[in-house]
Amino acid sequence: MNRTRAVTASLATMSLLALTACSGGGSAADGTVRLQMVESLTNPARTALIRELLDEFEAENTGVTVDLVSPPTDQADQKLQQMLQSGRGVDVLEVRDSTVGAFSNNGWLLDLSDDATTWAGWDDLTDNAQAVTAEDGARYYVPYGFYGLSLFYRTDLVETAGFDGPPASWEDLLEQASAIQDPGQNTYGYAFRGGQNGFSNVVAAVEAYTIDDLDVENAYLLTDGSTIFSAPEAQDAVDTYFSLFEEAAPPSAVSWGYPEMVEGFTNGSTAFLLQDPEVIATVSESTTITAEQWSTAPLLTGPTGKAAQPLATAGWGVAEASEHQEEAADLVEFLSGAEPATRFAQENSLVPIIDGAGEDPFYSEGPWSSYVEMTEDPETYVNVVQPRGVSWWTEWEQKADRDLQAVLLGSMTTSELLEEWDTFWTEKYASEQ
Amino acid sequence: MRRRTFGRRQALTILGFFAPAIVFVSWFTYWPMLQGAQMAFRDWNLWDLTSTPWVGLGNFAMILADPVFPIVAGNTLVWVVGSIVPQLVIGFLVALALWRRFRFRGVYQALIFYPWAVSGFLVGMLFRWMFNAEFGVVNDLLMKAGAIDAPLPWLADPKLAMVAVIVANVWYGVTFFAIMILAALQSVPDEVLEAAAIDGAGTVRRLFSIVIPYIWTTLALTVLLRSIWTFNSPEIIYAMTNGGPAGRTHIITTWMIEYTQQGSYGLASAIGLAVMVVLFVFCAFYLMAMRRVNQR
Repeated sequence: MNRTRAVTASLATMSLLALTACSGGGSAADGTVRLQMVESLTNPARTALIRELLDEFEAENTGVTVDLVSPPTDQADQKLQQMLQSGRGVDVLEVRDSTVGAFSNNGWLLDLSDDATTWAGWDDLTDNAQAVTAEDGARYYVPYGFYGLSLFYRTDLVETAGFDGPPASWEDLLEQASAIQDPGQNTYGYAFRGGQNGFSNVVAAVEAYTIDDLDVENAYLLTDGSTIFSAPEAQDAVDTYFSLFEEAAPPSAVSWGYPEMVEGFTNGSTAFLLQDPEVIATVSESTTITAEQWSTAPLLTGPTGKAAQPLATAGWGVAEASEHQEEAADLVEFLSGAEPATRFAQENSLVPIIDGAGEDPFYSEGPWSSYVEMTEDPETYVNVVQPRGVSWWTEWEQKADRDLQAVLLGSMTTSELLEEWDTFWTEKYASEQ
Repeated sequence: MRRRTFGRRQALTILGFFAPAIVFVSWFTYWPMLQGAQMAFRDWNLWDLTSTPWVGLGNFAMILADPVFPIVAGNTLVWVVGSIVPQLVIGFLVALALWRRFRFRGVYQALIFYPWAVSGFLVGMLFRWMFNAEFGVVNDLLMKAGAIDAPLPWLADPKLAMVAVIVANVWYGVTFFAIMILAALQSVPDEVLEAAAIDGAGTVRRLFSIVIPYIWTTLALTVLLRSIWTFNSPEIIYAMTNGGPAGRTHIITTWMIEYTQQGSYGLASAIGLAVMVVLFVFCAFYLMAMRRVNQR
């Protein structure tokens, strides 16, 4: 009998241990609050920076401690989803424009409308930052910065090829990149993105060509409700864009993703690269090209002299299931404050969320100046919102990348590509109604 | 009566020792497996988990009707056979080379076995750079050796891309074959080989008449294990080509990841369950065939 009791007791103890191991933050007996924060775009330097900011928050908020959970980036969204689904272990979390729809649909995110707009620092946020937080009458996160495209270019190669300055339009880019292309010397015009996420640059070109009729709130649609891929201008855009592959890129660019494109530019073999500002730090650290050999230029314009600037973003939100929503919202407010937010944006190479941060010499000089130029000229570089939050966004990304590669391999024409994409979006939107 | 009491106590003691393992395996393996399996029969989409209705065999029907399915199935077959056959042959040769004692054998063994300690994903990343047409070492070496005149677009050409991912997988998997076969070779009694040599059997005769029959069971099981792992392992392809170009290196498990990334957990689970059934049937037939061969 004693043995039976012993066995039962051991099993009960183990079950309790297992259950307590699964639980997240909470309140300690002495009244202190323990928050759990989960990031999803993890890298060691970024994690260290967030930890420093959290230490500052803890120093300012006695009685609150924050544990930072940093799953590997490629599994982070799934882990976050599992934690949110279980309703435990998450107080503050990283919310991206591509995950906010799913997370909020499932009721996992707290609506910060009442908290956010009454914060002391709310008015310090840029119009863009305030605008992206609003979704169907709710605010599920506060962005920590924006990712936006600009053109990285080799100043020396452009000059040697006889041009006065960097290309301003897609047509200019084709002309300059083709002139610079010299495979015999291992020099290529354009770091063409044919691999993962390659479709995004095709769309950037189509949006630049359709900008005058573009629905800026949904940059995959025209103002008449049809898709941008059905516009006659879209054909000119894709023909120009794919000519870059034919005339000014290495044939193997069919499989080039982010690492190959950046490597091609930093090792000096490609003259042009369309990328987010985070690449500024990588290129700056390169020992192959000197600071005088490269710079950045604003995003390429279409035939009417305008470009669409789709700002991708992510930020911090609060879990609906958090037992400490008030403290969690305080943490989001702290991270969105002028000093921590500017530091986070600068050290992660992001377009800042704080009004006037662009006047900092960090942004107004060197390769960052093109971002300031675009910000200051919203008539030419029109900020647009892409429908990244729709439920079929990942399906779209995968299909679009496959179709792009099919065109590059010659098994699909550019007009078939546009027809495919137009049908895809038209049918998806129709199925929603 | 006394004996029965003792038996009950003994049973409880045994249960006490087994209980932790049963609890942990049930909690961390079988419960998630059951959860995953039931998802295969529901419309389980990350986008809206507030409604996950039962759809019967609907997910399986959708997978079979997908035009990508035949391509993925064919690629999976090429991937498994193309990986296992070279791994077996090269692994066998490596094991034979390391079988007999020679100077620095330990060093050679360590060098040859080290790939097994590297993660498959990392192997994929490394080979992605090695096969890069412009900056990769593979084209560089081939050009210096005069084997090619111009760089080959390894990961951009559909046929070459499949060759490239298989080469990476062969490099990764040879080690396991070598380890297993070497262990089996070391169990072959020296006296039998010596007796055969005295009777006039040459190296090739001894290999096919004594060594291979002696290690046959190990060979068969190693092929079975590696076939299952290769069938199930998407990481090298995922890191090298992400299934591209244009889906031409997609195998069943990279396809499953694609659905997972879309949030279509119901479809992904259906593929997972189908993979399990296919592997179960394959194992059953394989083991039956092996038994027949052994009985001859």
